[in-house]
Amino acid sequence: MKRNSFYLCVAAVAFFEVAIFWLSVEISDPLPCVLAIVLGILGIYLTKMYIHEVVEDERTKKITEITALRTLQFTWIGLFLFALWIIIEALGEGVRHFNRPLGIFGFRLLVLLCGIIVLYVILSLYYNKKYGA
Amino acid sequence: MKNRIKVYRAMHDLSQEALANEVGVTRQTILAIENGKYDPSLILAARMAKFFNVRIDDIFLLDTIGE
Repeated sequence: MKRNSFYLCVAAVAFFEVAIFWLSVEISDPLPCVLAIVLGILGIYLTKMYIHEVVEDERTKKITEITALRTLQFTWIGLFLFALWIIIEALGEGVRHFNRPLGIFGFRLLVLLCGIIVLYVILSLYYNKKYGA
Repeated sequence: MKNRIKVYRAMHDLSQEALANEVGVTRQTILAIENGKYDPSLILAARMAKFFNVRIDDIFLLDTIGE
């Protein structure tokens, strides 16, 4: 399979996903949409294996790595500032007038961000070990 | 890092696409290396040197002035 044929397959899968999404909305059941997305990802992954041309190489992998890292860094900082903003808004005039739903959302967001740091440290230790540190 | 890929490609009458296919990368990667925007890994450099039947330092030269 050629690279352009693969991109056509990806476009077809994307149209299929949109159709299933609207079907899910019509029947008010998220299950078909979730299944279609899982099948779509699996389909694209399997189709990619049949491309004869080189699609990924060390340069594209490096670009992906740097892009992923920068996205994580910017997203983390953005969400952290957002969480702090929400908590300060929720505290408002003090602990007595604490806006509970808003505050809980802010604290949950902070917990999620801490979880991301923990996951980052675990993966970092794993790859350090894998690559000889 | 400077390189002489363009010269060796011309000597072997090869297009970027053909060289890319021979060493298992995309044409864009060959273009990026030739333009000095990307330094290849040691494996890719060795693969290119093997393909042109020369040593790695015949193709790639460490540019100490810009370091």
